[in-house]
Amino acid sequence: MKDAKKKPSRGLTMNRRSFLKVSTIVGAGIITGAGITTPEIMAAVSPKKKPPEPLLEKWVATSCLNCPASCATRVRVVNGKAVWITGNPLSRTSVGKTCPRAQIGLQVLYDPDRIKTPLKRTNHRKGRGIDPQWKPIPWEAALKEVDSRLKALRDQGQSHKLLLLHGLNTASNLDLIARFAVAYGTPNLVSGAALANEAEKAGRWMADGHYQEIAYDLPSTNYILAFGAGILESQNPLSRNLRMWGKIRRERPNRAKVVVIDPRLSLTAGKADEWIPIQPGTDGALALAMANVIIGEGLYDARFVQSRTAGFAEFRELAMAHYGVERVAGITGIRPDAIRRIAREFAQTRPAIAWAGNGVGRWPNGSYSSYAIYALNALVGSIDVPGGIIYQENPPYRELPGIVEDHRSKEGREKPPLDFHRTDIHPVAEVATNRVAESLLKGTPYPIEAAIGFNCNFNFSAPGTWVWDEALSKVPYYVHVAPYGSEMSGYADLLLPSTTFLEEWSYDHSPPGSGFAEVRIKQPAVEPVSDSRPTADLVFELARRQGGTVGRSFADIGGDIQGFVRYRTESLMPWKEFRAKGVWSGPSYRYCKYDRIFKTPSKKFEFASGNLERLWPDKGNSEESRNRLKYLPHHENIRFLGDPAMYPLLLLTYQPLLYMGAGSQNYPWAQSIYLVAHGVGWTNFAELNGETAKTMKIKDGDLLWVESSFKKIMARARVSEGVHPGVVCMARGQGHTAYGRWSKGIGVNPQDIMGVDYDRLSGQAAFSNTRIKVYKA
Amino acid sequence: MAKWGMVIDLDKCVGCQACTVACWEENNIPHGSAEDQRRRREIHWNKVISVSRGQYPNCNIELIPTPCMHCEQAPCVTVCPAKATYRRDDGIVVQNFRRCIGCRYCMVACPYNARSFNYRDQPEEAYHRLDPPPDRESWDPWPFPHRTRGVVEKCTFCFHRIDRGIKEKKNIGVEVVPACVEVCPSQARTFGDLDNPESQVSQLLKSRTIFRLREELGTKPKVVYLPR
Repeated sequence: MKDAKKKPSRGLTMNRRSFLKVSTIVGAGIITGAGITTPEIMAAVSPKKKPPEPLLEKWVATSCLNCPASCATRVRVVNGKAVWITGNPLSRTSVGKTCPRAQIGLQVLYDPDRIKTPLKRTNHRKGRGIDPQWKPIPWEAALKEVDSRLKALRDQGQSHKLLLLHGLNTASNLDLIARFAVAYGTPNLVSGAALANEAEKAGRWMADGHYQEIAYDLPSTNYILAFGAGILESQNPLSRNLRMWGKIRRERPNRAKVVVIDPRLSLTAGKADEWIPIQPGTDGALALAMANVIIGEGLYDARFVQSRTAGFAEFRELAMAHYGVERVAGITGIRPDAIRRIAREFAQTRPAIAWAGNGVGRWPNGSYSSYAIYALNALVGSIDVPGGIIYQENPPYRELPGIVEDHRSKEGREKPPLDFHRTDIHPVAEVATNRVAESLLKGTPYPIEAAIGFNCNFNFSAPGTWVWDEALSKVPYYVHVAPYGSEMSGYADLLLPSTTFLEEWSYDHSPPGSGFAEVRIKQPAVEPVSDSRPTADLVFELARRQGGTVGRSFADIGGDIQGFVRYRTESLMPWKEFRAKGVWSGPSYRYCKYDRIFKTPSKKFEFASGNLERLWPDKGNSEESRNRLKYLPHHENIRFLGDPAMYPLLLLTYQPLLYMGAGSQNYPWAQSIYLVAHGVGWTNFAELNGETAKTMKIKDGDLLWVESSFKKIMARARVSEGVHPGVVCMARGQGHTAYGRWSKGIGVNPQDIMGVDYDRLSGQAAFSNTRIKVYKA
Repeated sequence: MAKWGMVIDLDKCVGCQACTVACWEENNIPHGSAEDQRRRREIHWNKVISVSRGQYPNCNIELIPTPCMHCEQAPCVTVCPAKATYRRDDGIVVQNFRRCIGCRYCMVACPYNARSFNYRDQPEEAYHRLDPPPDRESWDPWPFPHRTRGVVEKCTFCFHRIDRGIKEKKNIGVEVVPACVEVCPSQARTFGDLDNPESQVSQLLKSRTIFRLREELGTKPKVVYLPR
């Protein structure tokens, strides 16, 4: 390396090179005097010349958290600075690959706008756009303040009036937060899950009793029928999907066929073999028409249906009587011959997968549509077989000791929850995120005294953002914990900076996708960039300060965050080895576990849901046929928000790949290439079909008002052929109004004009049933 | 001497742009802003372009990742008055920042829009890491120094990786590949020696129909595409 300087550089003499350097300077417009010396020239060309530092390089095995998939990564750290993030080849889930979001982790870590120290609000007025007038305070003062608030609440027997909210966090952080909620004694631990895909879960739960995300055995499948599923953009685990896409297309002798059903030409649809646009919200009807064809033509897997399913007769009757192809063609806008063809292909190209994605669930009828699509898999015997639906296995972490409870925590947890999950309002729900905002506003079932939000931003990501704005203004004391500010942190009384995933200890496991279990470590790649603290550290500290049973519940679980991670994972793998490898992988997946996989009353796959019947028994309605219908997969006509006569179009939103799940979008790399299909970034559009635009005399690039019956926003028109004529598509993730030099004021937030509605069964927020009109601004 | 080339399989490509981000990261390319993009002043060494065809509902989008094509008959090399851009013996077309006089003839000549210009002295925050000064000896681990205003830059096929790999007697194309090839999650990109019939790239080229971008110009690109 040392003698590199002595070599002639690419055949040019030093004299010529020096001459050219002078040319460079002249070219750059700097006037140089006569008799300039070489060192001066060097200084002009590279003003920051200093002797090179010795390079201290290390690789740290850790994992990502820019979306829930938390893929295993390796980080290259040079002289204490992280410079490169790549996949960990020891991970069998992502096979050493990541999506680009993992690499953008560097900009998450070194985001110049991160919160640097605890901040206390001095302006008591709260609202959007109101400056909180932050005042930096020391950690000790901040923790003391939170602690005394929580203690006072608990001592008054009001522990249920503490509301804990969380967005994207690591598995270990969530374990600790959940533990704190129980030990402290509040039933109000609310995740952002019902803003994502709860309806799909509920639909599948009706069939097989698993209320969780499902895994698809991609490497061995031959046919994928994707209903509203952005397999290559937004469906988890993304990096595995991307890797397997390459595999099923060109790395095996038979190329899998992919058909995408979506009102929008998504990237997945663009890369698939066929895109079939559908009338928005009618995916369930299409699935049932396909069932009609498959059953009618005898193409279903009779052996599987007979031995492993229940309720088939009822389902068959429903599909045959009400979902004839011609009728459904009218509902979905898909030609009858196309429906028949796809149904036949799906049934005859096995193993095949029917995949209900995000686009299916975000409707008031979401869980029934998901149920209908899921039933297709059972019809062709694709349950728990290679190339079909598989059930994600969970890692056997070491069990935690029981939580020490006193009468306060028990009484507190018996109070009804704020989101009304598992009540008559949302009978199947595990969480109904958006319901919390409404409860806060109305003070039902009781007013909340204090709230802590762990890295969530519901004031941005939930439909009807203004409801959250009003709700949080009413919360007497709100503490926000996150590495960066957000719309939601603007309502905080106390803002506590947490570390990012590249600076803290954690464990995470595979989200559904691989089948087999996989655990990844998170260990600090670099020192915390500012005076921030790991979330887990904070929870430990709060519990310790609370003392009593709360403190005791946190006493024997490793002592601190690193100890906790070690405590939980040492049963899987020796600590040193885990730190070096970064990944623990479970045994390979075992298929066809039919004797124990179905958690239903009949212990079979159910076409008529016994689970739902148990949880939501019929109260003896007079209309007999209608009563049974609610236990069967069926298509419900959509309830729209807005009068179709006044608001002729529908607002559909989508999540581009570079939507960063952690809630901030302040990353120039992601912003610059945000909308790859349009070849631009740093914005989002109101995307309209060419014909629709023509009739409304709208041209590409026009500035439009997009107006619902609730609010309106201004966006630039993008005329595109890949959009259903009845909808306007908008990318989510833009339109931040608070925080971040590279995100604030970029694009608009479509959630700002959406109304609040739900899929009743699951409590999933309906994103897609708001009607709008557009006109030139 | 090897002749380095790249094969990009558009059937496997998923349009995720991991290549674009990895390239910025590896080569310490200063990032731009909304304003830069509006004025077309962002710096890209690799860009995924989109081409849409047809009318609703029979329409489609093709996403094409475009690094520098490292043409055998590279127009940029021909026009450069300062010999700042030249072709190495292994066929890689390189830009020497320190010879570049910023005239941008090469940008006009390049039919692939593969080149970018530094319109300003980049602020410190635009780089994701601070580099040592541009001494050749530090090019190994951290190849690219801070840029100055008025120079053109472009994809290098990550020649710093290749050069070091050769020094360390590694198998180029298998153990050592450019950053975009390394990160590609669907493994749509393959890198290797086009002159070696045994190399993976040569094998791929034999297996399917192939095309190059704007072949009619006679630039003979060494980035070859496999269609869907």
